[in-house]
Amino acid sequence: MSSVEDTAGSHPSAGARALDLLRRELPDAVLAGDEGFGEVSIRIPRERLVEVATLLRDHEEARYDLPLFVTAVDWPDREPEVPRFDVVYQLRSMRHNDVVRLVVQVPGDDPRVPTLEGVFAGMDWHEREAFDLLGIEFEGHHDLRRILLPDDWEGHPLRKDYVSFGEPIAFTHNLEWAMPAQERPPDMPGESR
Amino acid sequence: MSVLPPLGPPGHDPVSEQYEHGRELLGVDPGLDAIDLVQLDDQTMELNMGPQHPSTHGVLRLVLDLDGEIVRGCRPDIGFLHTGFEKDFERHNYQQCIPYTDRMDYLSPLSNNLGFSLAAERLLGIEVPARAQYLRVIMCELARIASHLIWYGTTALDLGATTPFVYAWREREKILDINELVSGVRMHTSFIRVGGLFADVPDEFYAMVAEVAKTFPHHIDEYETLITGNAIFRERTRGLGVISAEDAINYGVTGPSLRGSGVAYDLRKARPYSSYDHFEFDVPIGERGDIYDRYLVRMGEMRESLRIIDQALAGLPGGPVNTSDRQVALPPRNEINTSMESLIRHFKLVTEGFRVPRGTVYEAVESPRGELGFLLVSDGSNRPYRCKVRAPSFSNLSALPHMVMGEMLPDLVAVIGSIDIVLGDVDR
Repeated sequence: MSSVEDTAGSHPSAGARALDLLRRELPDAVLAGDEGFGEVSIRIPRERLVEVATLLRDHEEARYDLPLFVTAVDWPDREPEVPRFDVVYQLRSMRHNDVVRLVVQVPGDDPRVPTLEGVFAGMDWHEREAFDLLGIEFEGHHDLRRILLPDDWEGHPLRKDYVSFGEPIAFTHNLEWAMPAQERPPDMPGESR
Repeated sequence: MSVLPPLGPPGHDPVSEQYEHGRELLGVDPGLDAIDLVQLDDQTMELNMGPQHPSTHGVLRLVLDLDGEIVRGCRPDIGFLHTGFEKDFERHNYQQCIPYTDRMDYLSPLSNNLGFSLAAERLLGIEVPARAQYLRVIMCELARIASHLIWYGTTALDLGATTPFVYAWREREKILDINELVSGVRMHTSFIRVGGLFADVPDEFYAMVAEVAKTFPHHIDEYETLITGNAIFRERTRGLGVISAEDAINYGVTGPSLRGSGVAYDLRKARPYSSYDHFEFDVPIGERGDIYDRYLVRMGEMRESLRIIDQALAGLPGGPVNTSDRQVALPPRNEINTSMESLIRHFKLVTEGFRVPRGTVYEAVESPRGELGFLLVSDGSNRPYRCKVRAPSFSNLSALPHMVMGEMLPDLVAVIGSIDIVLGDVDR
């Protein structure tokens, strides 16, 4: 791990600068600051996301002004103790040569976060991608529709419960699961695969 | 036997019926042809460009709002090359993911290999030997030159200059020969693996790389003679496709496209990985953020890459090219002959792969197009739980509408060329 410490300069971990600043300026917006592998993940509530991102972008000590991406990690097995999705934002500060990760946890039945396209123009497409592949809904996004997959695609492939390989074999016990929605008789119950 | 479709009753045209049927299958708006102009109001027309268009460098579709020849709106439509690599990663063990990374940014596969390997190595806590780090640098810089050569040739071609294309292709071939020598494959090399390299380089390698380092400065002079001072090229690129540093940063633009706007940020300098801090090189930047500046930045980068290759080749240390850490490294051949445990370990590593500790890392490298990042989430198993690829082309392309607003339609192809997208990288 020596290389990590070398490149992070005076700070022990990438993102520690942001964590220090947030603990000072918006202490109630920091739910947790997890450190591992020389990187800090800052967990924040979704209500405070826009506020935190704006502060990190504009504050002289932070200047995390380069939006790298937003994506999500699906952990279906940890519900209901912990919300299902980690929505992950990664921002880079070129001024201070640092990179920080923000994590917003949202439940599977309500995967909504506020959009950040007002803060970073570059988040527009990344939010559409996270919507497309993981079904995260970005509230207030001006044009939230699929970006990589066709408009009529069913489901969100990067969710863990999405079957992405092979032809599903239809047996009587899993007929509703195996049959695509458009071929299913209208009276058949159940979720699509 | 007739090759014509059978004739029907008068007024019946089987060819156009088939054509209409095909368009229906493709979901084409009835009555809208690929080259049709749609009148939106008195001033603006909608024009569909691509996805099969030679200047889009792959399969990119743009829906343009035109006022005469002036672009008033541009809506890129991407995803034609989406292959679901991130989902594939979740079903393969770490070493098996490497060939998938090759195929994302297929003009610079070595950078992709390197980014993924660095992320996995951080999670594993292993350090690769110095020789492997230097060879990684040499191969990545060769890939950068090869990638910039394609950009140089195709961008000039888009602007109507056919000669540079032929020159660039000729020289790129020499770099592909080196790829073939070290890995057996010209493009999708999978040369850089988690824990080191596929294999050490053969003896011919040094002479071939030295030849490239020696002859390429002269070749780049040739390219500059063809284009840099060319009055037509300057006319068509100066002051066009401008993006300011603030806007570029706000859109997440990285790489030469950002440096063309005057921001001297290069991950090789700012957060050196794989021994880049051992080499002396400069980061060329532009001033105006127009097409011409981005052109100059890339030409400068090729020269800097040659400097790095020179230094890395001169200082290339000896020793192994793979880590000796047995959680990742295969046991050596002679050990397998005598040790049952080694044989079992070898078998397990090849079939199952290695387990990676739980955790999340973000590792980024400076690819020819910008910041190529891998967010790697491990749940402690032998496969990535989630791997998000931060593709530079994706963010760079999202700034295209901003760059072309108010420009002329013929200049649009020059702007697309100047941000150097690879659609495999955009769509993944």
